[in-house]
Amino acid sequence: MSKPAPKTKSLTILHLYPGELNIYGDRGNILTLVQRLAWRGYGAKVIRSTVGGQVDIGRADLIFGGGGQDRGQVAVGEDLQRHGVDLQRAADDGVPMLTICGTYQLFGSGFTTLEGQTIPGIGIFKAHTMGSTERMIGNVVVDTSFGQLVGFENHSGRTLLEADQQPLGVVKKGFGNDGRSGMEGAVYNSVYGTYLHGPVLPKNPHFADALLLAALRRKYGLTDIEPLDDALEQQAARDASRRPQ
Amino acid sequence: MPLLFTIFIAKIILLASRILGRGGGSALPGLVAEKLDPSIGHRLAARIPHGSIIITGTNGKTTTSKMVAKVLGDRGEKLVRNRAGSNLSRGVVSALVEHASFGGRFKENMGLFEVDEAAMPAVCRMLQPRAIVVLNLFRDQLDRYGELDTTARLIGKGIGATNAQLILGADDPLVASLAGYAADPKKVIFFGLDRSPQKPLASDATADSTTCPKCGRALKYSRRFYGHMGHYSCPLGHFDRPQTQVNISGLSLNDESITLNANVDGQKVSGQVGLPGVYNAYNTAATLALSHSLGVDGESALHSLHQIEAAFGRVEKLEVGDKTLYLMLVKNPTGFNQVIQTFLLDKKEQEILLIINDNFADGRDISWLWDVSFEELASRRHALQVAGIRASDMALRLKYAGIPTRHSQTKIPKALKHFIDQLPAGGTGYVIPTYTAMLESRHWLARRYKLKGIWR
Repeated sequence: MSKPAPKTKSLTILHLYPGELNIYGDRGNILTLVQRLAWRGYGAKVIRSTVGGQVDIGRADLIFGGGGQDRGQVAVGEDLQRHGVDLQRAADDGVPMLTICGTYQLFGSGFTTLEGQTIPGIGIFKAHTMGSTERMIGNVVVDTSFGQLVGFENHSGRTLLEADQQPLGVVKKGFGNDGRSGMEGAVYNSVYGTYLHGPVLPKNPHFADALLLAALRRKYGLTDIEPLDDALEQQAARDASRRPQ
Repeated sequence: MPLLFTIFIAKIILLASRILGRGGGSALPGLVAEKLDPSIGHRLAARIPHGSIIITGTNGKTTTSKMVAKVLGDRGEKLVRNRAGSNLSRGVVSALVEHASFGGRFKENMGLFEVDEAAMPAVCRMLQPRAIVVLNLFRDQLDRYGELDTTARLIGKGIGATNAQLILGADDPLVASLAGYAADPKKVIFFGLDRSPQKPLASDATADSTTCPKCGRALKYSRRFYGHMGHYSCPLGHFDRPQTQVNISGLSLNDESITLNANVDGQKVSGQVGLPGVYNAYNTAATLALSHSLGVDGESALHSLHQIEAAFGRVEKLEVGDKTLYLMLVKNPTGFNQVIQTFLLDKKEQEILLIINDNFADGRDISWLWDVSFEELASRRHALQVAGIRASDMALRLKYAGIPTRHSQTKIPKALKHFIDQLPAGGTGYVIPTYTAMLESRHWLARRYKLKGIWR
C-alpha cells in the first residue's frame, strides 16, 4: 500500500460581508492572499459571512473585511455585534485580520454619523469615527513598521485614535485616519485597520506576506515563508507612489 | 444681462475657439454665457418648441442618445444636441448657444441631451425636460462622486425639480428606486430584460447595488444578467423589481448586432439592431420606451435602429495599413466585463492592448481593475500587452489572474506602434483604452495613418 500524499498546508480565509461591503476592489485583496499561498504550494479556502447568516469565526485562520456604502454598513454594524465576542477572542489569540474603511471603522468603538446617530462597533481598536462633510479622496503613501504602503483612500469618516491606540503608520502623502493627525490606520496584535484600498495588498506584497506568515505561524508553527519574485509588484507600487495625491 | 447680448458674446467665443483650435470650444462658450447670465440656459431651453429630453446613467448615455436621435431624426424631428462627453451644465449651455440664432430662436424643434449624473440637479432645473431617461448606475469614477447612493440622490434631486416623464431601468435596483422621486407616480415607464442568452460570468464582481434601499439586506435574485442587473426582491418584502411596460424577450447576440423580440406597452415587435452586446439590448429598450412616450410606434422605432453606427470610441473598427484595429473604450468594471463577454470570451489567441490612464477624466482610482473578470480569459491564450500611465498596475492585475503580459510601455504612441508593427500582415488587434487613453490613441492613429473623420 502506498503512503498517502502529505497533506497540503491550507488556510481558511474568512471574508466578512462581501455581499454588503464590496465596492472598492476589495476582491483584489482576497485574490492576492489566495494566489500568494498557491504560488508557494499552500491551499486556501475562502468562506464568507452574510447579514443574518451562520459563520464559525473560530474556523478562520485569517479574516478580511472591506469597505462599502453607508447603507451596507448600517446592516453590517448591527449584525457584527453577534460576532463581537468571537472576533475579540480571535484577535487576542493572534489571528491576523485586515480591515479596510467601513470594516475598520466598525472594529473601533463605533461610527457617529453627521445626524448624530451612532452605529456601535465591536471595540477591538480604541478608536471612534465621526462622519464629516469632507470626502478624503486620493492616492496615499504611508510609512509603517512594514516599510512603505501605497494605496488609494476614499472616505468621509474621520477616525480618531485614543492616546494608547497604536496607528498602522504615518501619512507621507494623503489624508489618513482623519486628515489632521498625520496618523493612518490602527494595529492590535495581528489585527490591522486601514483606509488604504486600491486594493492594498497587491502593491504591498510585504504586507500581504506578513498577514500570511502570521496565520501560518499560528496554525503550523512556520517561522518564515518562501520569497516570491515581486518585481512587478514593486514597479506598480513605485509608479503609484509617484502619482499626485 | 439682455438675452441677445449674452448669445452674441457666447457665439463670438464659440467662433474664436473654433478658429484657434480643433476639438476645443465645447465648454467655454457655455461657461462664459452662464457667467454673464446665470439664467441663459433656462431662457434658451424654454424656447425649444417641443421641449427637451435628458439621458443619464453610468453606461450607454452616448450610445442611447445616438439611438434616440436616429429614431427621432427618421421622423423628421430636428434636434439640439450636446457633444458626447460635454455633458455638464456648461456643455449643455454651449449647445444651446451654438444652435440658437442671434435672435435667440431655434430652427430645431426638440432638445436631446446626455447629462452627467452629478450635473443632474443643475441641468434638470435649467432644462425643465419633458422626459428623463436613467439607464443604469454602476461604479464609475467613484473618487469623484463618493458613493453610488450619493449619485442616485443627485439624480433624484434633478428628477424632483421637474415634472418630466421618467423612463427607468427596472433591472437595476438603484435606478428603479428613483421612481420615488417622481412628481407624479403615473409618469414612470420601466424597461427591462426578460432573459439573456448570455451566461453570467463566473466571477462577476460588479454587482454594486445588491442591497435593499430600505433595510440594507442583500437582495435575492431569481435571474441575474450581469453586475446587479436582473430580477430581484428584498427578502423582507420591502422592495422588488417593478413591472415593466417595455421589455425585451427573445434576445440573440453576435459580434456585430442583436436580434430581439420586444413588448412595447402591449405591442409586440421584433427586429435587428446594428450594435452588439446585452448592454445594447438595454439601450434599445430605453430607446423604445422613450420613443413610445413621445408617440413613436414601436415597430418603426425598432426599424430605425436596424442600421446604426457605434458612438465615438465604442467598438470602432479602424483600418491601419493592411491591419485592422478594434478600439473599445472602457470606463468601469461593468463595461469592461461586457467587452470581455461580447468580444473576447469566445475567441482564442487574439492580440490585445490594454491602455490604462488615471487622469481625472478616467477616474483617478484604478482599483476597479480588480473587479474586472480577467480570470475568465486565462485559458484563452490571448496575447496581452499593456500601456498607459498605470501600465504596471494593469500588468499586476493580469499576473494575479494568471495571464502573462507580453509587453509593457507607459507611453501610448510607442505602445501603439509596437502593437501594430508586431501584428501579422492582414491581422486584427483589439485596443482597449480608458477615456483619456482613447483620446490620445485616436489622435496618434489619425495622424500616423491619415485616418479621416476619426477626430472631431
